[in-house]
Amino acid sequence: MSQETTASRSPLFKTEDWWAVWLGLFIFALGLLKLAGVDVIGWVVKTSVWLDLSKALAPASKAYQGMPGIISLILTYLFLLLVTAIGAYSMGARVGRYITGFTLIFWITYACWIIGSYGYIAATPDQLAKLGIPWSLRLTGEAGFIIALIAGLLLGNLWPGFTRAVEEAVKPEWFIKTAIVILGATIGLKACQSTGLAGQVVFRGFCAIVEAYLIYWPIVYFISRKYFRFTPEWAAPLASGISICGVSAAIATGGAIKARPVVPVIVSSLVIIFAVVELIILPFAAQAWLYHEPMVAGAWMGLAVKTDGAAAASGALVDALIRSKAATALGVQWQEGWMLMAATTVKVFIDIFIAVWAFILAIIWSYSIDRRPGEKISASVIWERFPKFILGYAATFAILLLIGSGMTKETLKTLQAGVGQADAFRGIFFALTFFTIGLVSNFKKLKEEGMGRLAVVYLICLFGFIIWIGLFISWIFFHGITPPVVG
Amino acid sequence: MANQERFAEEGEWFDLTPAEKKLIGWSLGLGIALLGILVWISYTVIPVQH
Repeated sequence: MSQETTASRSPLFKTEDWWAVWLGLFIFALGLLKLAGVDVIGWVVKTSVWLDLSKALAPASKAYQGMPGIISLILTYLFLLLVTAIGAYSMGARVGRYITGFTLIFWITYACWIIGSYGYIAATPDQLAKLGIPWSLRLTGEAGFIIALIAGLLLGNLWPGFTRAVEEAVKPEWFIKTAIVILGATIGLKACQSTGLAGQVVFRGFCAIVEAYLIYWPIVYFISRKYFRFTPEWAAPLASGISICGVSAAIATGGAIKARPVVPVIVSSLVIIFAVVELIILPFAAQAWLYHEPMVAGAWMGLAVKTDGAAAASGALVDALIRSKAATALGVQWQEGWMLMAATTVKVFIDIFIAVWAFILAIIWSYSIDRRPGEKISASVIWERFPKFILGYAATFAILLLIGSGMTKETLKTLQAGVGQADAFRGIFFALTFFTIGLVSNFKKLKEEGMGRLAVVYLICLFGFIIWIGLFISWIFFHGITPPVVG
Repeated sequence: MANQERFAEEGEWFDLTPAEKKLIGWSLGLGIALLGILVWISYTVIPVQH
């Protein structure tokens, strides 16, 4: 494409931010067609935790259950290649080189994801019995992201020729922003499903936002800036990653303050690793000391464990562990699922406000922190700075909430299936992001940036106060509430 | 090249600016105040039903 053509195109069709919105909304809309009885993207591949490789891949929809997993994967690749190539062309990429690059990136990334989903690597404690294995690294399905990042780092640092060959398709920011637009629908769906839950838990879930955004965030930011000498570019995504919800919050914050893409992704990989440590320790600590306060334990998992997957797994684990202990120690049998619900409700409320927080940070950074002396800031500067993909996130969330809140349980199930199909693409975009960010990250530079210091800040903040304040707040708002008794 | 320049520029640490201090102070102050209000609401307006 000529430079003139690109230049004359509307900004709505030539920036990654806007193309993330279009692509995310397109996939979301295709998922919604499920409500009209049309299963347009049900063939999208989903990766399960596996021991038998032939069972790792399957289409997302039951309507396609006869389709072999590998065919589902090929269709997913062709679809993504087509839609992203259109976007890349519109943004001025050389399409031939993009196709080659994307193809290599996609297949390597997916191989990493399949490896990361191996039972002994990914299975969480609540899945061990089902898989019939005695142990695992408990890294959850998100292990694939870490493996993709490592693979990208190795290829990028040891084989720079590879990176040059695929560079036209190395677009980590675009991939992650598209994923976040689709994420809005997933969070919206969870919010819809929460409306039928006990009002008390929902209200107390809302209270958790105050803690995550207004108390955790400034403390982590202050510690990283003042004592660990990080620049605002690192401190803000780190504070969001540790305080709110790892990947999406760190990326949204990175976009709002115009950090380089490597910053939130490196923060996110730390979040995933530490979430595993929490998943291994916290549910058992809760079983030992909080079995008489089950809802405190559930909410604590939602507040302290920082990725959606690990928080839900911790919630499920604590639910099983505490119910079993209460049955023997207290002689009471609580209904299953209430502690898990407390954990996920708290997490959903925290996730919902990511867009609001990104908007607030964009304004603060434009008006104050990045403002040069004498510089005038107009509304257009704020608009220019605002991460547009957050609009997509807010739109998918709001649309889902609007159409889902009045639905019957049956229709909501259909909606959940459609959103689940769109969400399968979100997972793939996440994985593509981790691999491509690895490709463009230089070990030497990461060391210079202070990767070790980042991990120390994380460790200190997490175990120094986040876990304990989280426990304190959970206690304040949830103590005395117990799940209904069975029978 | 532009990225390299930005990299170096952003790598330089500087002490907390007044704007950052204000952000930290307001956020924490508002958080603690809201926490107090929400605790009050949760104990009086929406009390736990055993």
